[in-house]
Amino acid sequence: MNKTVKITINGEIFEQSVPIRLLLSDFIREVAGLTGTHISCTYEGVCGACTVQLDGAAVKSCLMLATQADGHEVTTVEGLAKDGKLSPLQQAFNDHHALQCGFCTPGILMNMDEFLKKHPNPSDDEIRTGLIGNLCRCTGYAHIVDAVRDAAKRTR
Amino acid sequence: MTTKTGTNWVGAKYNRKEDHRLLTGKGRYLADLSMPGALHLVFVRSEQAHARIKKIDVSAAKKLPGVVTVLTGEDIKNKIKPMPQPVVQPALVAKYPRHWPLAVGKVKFHGEPIAVVVARDKYVAEDAAELIQAEYDPLPYIGDPEKALADKSNRVHEEWDDNIIFEMTFTGGADDASRAKNDAEVERIFKSADVVVRQRFRTHRCGMTPMETRGALMSWDDSDGLIAHVTTQRPHIDRLALSDILDIPAEKVRVIAPRDQGGGFGVKAPFYREPILVAYLARELKRPIRWVESRQEHLMAVSQERDQIHDIEIAASKDGKLLAMRNRGIADCGDGCEGVYWGFLMPFLGSVELPNAYDWPIGDVKLKVAVTNKSALSPARAFGELPTRFAMERAIDLVAKKCGMEPADFRRKNLVAHLPHTSITGEYFDSGDFLKVWDNLMAQVDLKGFRREQEAARKQGRYLGIGFGLGVELSGVASELLVPMESQPGYGAATVRVDPRAKVIVFEGDAPQGQGHETTVAQAVAGAFGIHPSDIVVTTGDTGTTPFGSGTIGARAGSYFISAAVMACAELKQKISRFMIHDLKIENATQDDFEFADGEIVYKKNSNIRKTFREMVERIIMAPINMPAGESGGLEHTAFFEAAKPMICFNADCAKVEVDIRTGQFKILNWTTSEDVGQIINPQIVEGQMQGAVIQGLSNTLFEQFIYDENGQQLTADFENYKLANAADVPDIKVTHAPTPCPYTPLGSRGIGEGRPSSVPGTITNAVCDALSPFGIEIAELPLRPNQIWQLIQNAKKKAAD
Amino acid sequence: MYPAIIEDYVRPTSVDEALKAAGKYEAGEAMFLAGGQSLMQAVKSRLVRPRCVIDLQALKELKGVSAGGGGIRIGAMTRYVEIMSDPNLKTAYGALADAAEHVGDRQVRNRGTIGGSLCWNYVAACMPAANLAVGSSMELLSATGKKRAVMVDDFIKGPLETARADDEVLLAVTLPAAPAKAGSAYKKWGVVTDALPVIGVAVYLELDGGGAIAKARLAVGGLATGPKRAKGAEAALAGKKAGDPGLAAALDKAASEIETQSDHWADSTYRKNLIRTLGADVLASAFARAAGK
Ligand SMILES: Cc1cc2nc3c(=O)[nH]c(=O)nc-3n(C[C@H](O)[C@H](O)[C@H](O)COP(=O)(O)OP(=O)(O)OC[C@H]3O[C@@H](n4cnc5c(N)ncnc54)[C@H](O)[C@@H]3O)c2cc1C
Ligand code: FES
Ligand code: FES
Repeated sequence: MNKTVKITINGEIFEQSVPIRLLLSDFIREVAGLTGTHISCTYEGVCGACTVQLDGAAVKSCLMLATQADGHEVTTVEGLAKDGKLSPLQQAFNDHHALQCGFCTPGILMNMDEFLKKHPNPSDDEIRTGLIGNLCRCTGYAHIVDAVRDAAKRTR
Repeated sequence: MTTKTGTNWVGAKYNRKEDHRLLTGKGRYLADLSMPGALHLVFVRSEQAHARIKKIDVSAAKKLPGVVTVLTGEDIKNKIKPMPQPVVQPALVAKYPRHWPLAVGKVKFHGEPIAVVVARDKYVAEDAAELIQAEYDPLPYIGDPEKALADKSNRVHEEWDDNIIFEMTFTGGADDASRAKNDAEVERIFKSADVVVRQRFRTHRCGMTPMETRGALMSWDDSDGLIAHVTTQRPHIDRLALSDILDIPAEKVRVIAPRDQGGGFGVKAPFYREPILVAYLARELKRPIRWVESRQEHLMAVSQERDQIHDIEIAASKDGKLLAMRNRGIADCGDGCEGVYWGFLMPFLGSVELPNAYDWPIGDVKLKVAVTNKSALSPARAFGELPTRFAMERAIDLVAKKCGMEPADFRRKNLVAHLPHTSITGEYFDSGDFLKVWDNLMAQVDLKGFRREQEAARKQGRYLGIGFGLGVELSGVASELLVPMESQPGYGAATVRVDPRAKVIVFEGDAPQGQGHETTVAQAVAGAFGIHPSDIVVTTGDTGTTPFGSGTIGARAGSYFISAAVMACAELKQKISRFMIHDLKIENATQDDFEFADGEIVYKKNSNIRKTFREMVERIIMAPINMPAGESGGLEHTAFFEAAKPMICFNADCAKVEVDIRTGQFKILNWTTSEDVGQIINPQIVEGQMQGAVIQGLSNTLFEQFIYDENGQQLTADFENYKLANAADVPDIKVTHAPTPCPYTPLGSRGIGEGRPSSVPGTITNAVCDALSPFGIEIAELPLRPNQIWQLIQNAKKKAAD
Repeated sequence: MYPAIIEDYVRPTSVDEALKAAGKYEAGEAMFLAGGQSLMQAVKSRLVRPRCVIDLQALKELKGVSAGGGGIRIGAMTRYVEIMSDPNLKTAYGALADAAEHVGDRQVRNRGTIGGSLCWNYVAACMPAANLAVGSSMELLSATGKKRAVMVDDFIKGPLETARADDEVLLAVTLPAAPAKAGSAYKKWGVVTDALPVIGVAVYLELDGGGAIAKARLAVGGLATGPKRAKGAEAALAGKKAGDPGLAAALDKAASEIETQSDHWADSTYRKNLIRTLGADVLASAFARAAGK
């Protein structure tokens, strides 16, 4: 029923016995106490609010068991800013008013952070397609697209 | 980018203050809060739409290790007062259904709570919920509002004698005689008018589901009482309601809306049944209790709106002047069991706003609202009016075409040209310039050029279309409307507290959910005191510390709350000025002779006489000796703002589309808006509100739909089936402005954004119909889906061939 | 919603080990977990309640695309993100890349696998239809050590059903070496972009020296009864060249021979129309790919 897992989150190792049925999203929020990863779906895994990076790839943490992440590295939104300084992507979100309630924002940042590594010079269409896995109810997406485009420019 | 220097913060681009915590995962939403030892509560919900409860067997669930308690309606019906309670009951004449937080006797919709489980672990709570067995005697499902209105034998609420929760006539005065006369006059005009259009319009059930669901975390302490963290737009009302219903003295109830809320859009404005149970159990068990709603519960039980039918008739003269309108509205409000709104307030306001910005000589507007076995309508941005705007904006196009006019020209000709104006349904338009906003829109879209392009494209078999829509929206809800409608005051309240270090704390009783209040009010207060927005912090939504407010509803921030904060600042500035006059012994100066700028207070008549803001506030707060006569120390003031009359804002939209007639699929080529939001406080925030609102309107129109099958089973309780627009589905909106400052608010600002999605469905549907005008297609029903468009094209082709 | 209790989780490092673990349980009680993008939905909604989860993530031999003289082999655990950009899946088997590229969203494509999609065989899935068109073969290994190859036509059954036995692991999807002039494509339509398809159409074409269709396979997904080939249409396509009006007639045939359902996404006649319009689009792409354009 339980398994001991060793999961590195934002560089910190969490070694813990957990129920096998525990979702990775709950491990992150409740065991590691990192509540920046949000939950908005019941079971369907559509909204993307829970997106984290698993060994660098954006994934939905609500569609994984914590045990699946055993031995892997997870990065959450709390791991993006280095030494208190916002990453260029985070800063661009602030500059372009790319968030309102902010509930979707951590998932979007974790997806787009990986996206920009693969698409350093994306078109607007590519950004919009890249965002399909993240629903945002507030912004209408336009400012998010602006922010991602600008972050790409700042990072290049 | 903090690009602005000096004191003129109002109108400046200033990066939001709330963002840093939200971008680094440090936001504190309801689900992020914790209390040691908190138990988890889950609801068990009805699997049937309409049925008598024979038996609910909870024995197996109770036995499961880790389960603390299980309750059903029978367990609480004598312990919790039923709704309605006066504090959450409007003053409008209607039937208010009696109900408890858990179903008693029978279930009235698929998703109604029938039992509750409290357990130490949320996974175990679900294990237990699964073990609960309910037995039902099914009753006939009441799902069609028109049939429900006619059927007296089969009733949603058996204690009533029909299924009508609310009906109203909105035109023709207050008494029957004047209404009869009015209606006869309308009939006379219809009989003799050159042009008459009649059409039924239907808007499907959809809403504004926010990304964060509802939730509550509450604790009880015998001496302090209840501390209730609740996702809510109106903490002060929730406090009164919890106190009344659970008989807890009001001083022992403190409601705290989390500082961060993941969207609301009206959905978090009602007083719902679930928090009552959380509070009840926290008190009974004397342990903290947490409930975090699942998306499935959310989509089953709340966030459903729209769902109206309008049979509209319009009479016009040949030359395109509106003469009269008649409308018979029907709304399907579900079971109506929902504090504050009762499912019918949205269609009520929708009918009030039906005339839109057009100048109607006369009209006859009536509404009937039916109860059915569905979840109660809960408010959503574009409150009740998205369906009436759709009907009106489509109908206007039909009339224009019948008059042989460009719909754009027809609109301009019939806009209310002079404000103030009172509409035929009694809505007061305070100020603004509709023609200016309209002309600004037309200057952005080259209509003549587009018509040429359209003509050329058609020759190549491509179908382009242009559509317009407009909306006059409430800017804040005045007491005049809010007292009868919700039994609540409309004023905005703010407490401004200056501290000895010259920092300012603003207390707001409302509870924002992403609108950027922390930033806009900081800009307004910084502008008033001549200090920097970073020196200002905002506390919201805690009934223990904030002044009374009716909630973050109806675009109140820009109009009401910020105005109250600015008024409080003005009061404090006068006090500081009086101390200046006294301390510096300035002859003949008045309290209005000082300018607050760049951290200093300067005597306007002699700029050598100045003090820093910090010196003065420290002196008043920390050294209250040698004071002007009659003054006391300290710098804190609470102000209440209310305009004498309701206020409005206005917008107009233009969309261009291309329809692929092979499939009925279409592409939005561009979308341009023209807005009057009065004085803009933060342009980026305004732009963000508009972008978001238009896309929400599109998402409602094109993708979202709650579906109940023939047995009342709700089929759309997840994001796989209830589709929100994603980024690849929607265009970038070009937002332009043609402002007229509001004369009735201190800054000239208007509250914005609430009603903004409502002009969208008409605009886009008009564009699609314009594209398909060679086929003579007129769409009157939403959602607007390719399947439907394609079918209409097939029908038209078939008709042409026959 | 949260999963029901799961008694055991294993992460085998060899296929043998995986099969042994499965053998310890009654049929259906142990479930293989690939990308989890379907299984976890089912586990969370308690549609399935595995006692044991056998996580295939460490099975290196199940991962990656390899091409040799004998054809192409796609490991069952190859993720969509790899399939959509694999150089071996551009022309003859481009339908697989098309399908992978538009499954759900980036996050789903970072996890979901071709094997998982085929073994789950959801009604509105993309991979089953795309595989039916390209005519792949499933390489299965059972607990008894028996290896078998099953053609996709025999593998895919009704909704959520396949020819795989509960104790069989899908090792790989194999494809014959592509003929010189072959091309395939897949396209779907859903209410929102890249959603589960209301209808998805895949076509595979082999052209003769003159550019006419020598062999065609056309499959449709998004059907209530599971993905289907339109064999009448396939026959009607034979001998047609790009641009031939007979192509439309063949698609009409597909639309009439395939049974479509009405539901809240679309009605049956609209689905038939989608078969025609999407069919025309995928035929054009497949012709272009086959011609090396
Ligand atoms: C938001 C979202 C959107 C989606 N959109 C689409 C879409 O547009 N189109 C589409 O086609 N799909 C879509 N999917 C489903 C997705 O494609 C799944 O990834 C896929 O169906 C399953 O693959 P998986 O690797 O995740 O398998 P899993 O979910 O891990 O497994 C699925 C099933 O296959 C079995 N299984 C897996 N691998 C093997 C093996 N090697 N041998 C034996 N049995 C095995 C498992 O036991 C399980 O029964 C979507 C999913 C999500 C969450
Ligand atoms: S919570 Fe994971 S995708 Fe929605
Ligand atoms: S900012 Fe609120 S959901 Fe995206």
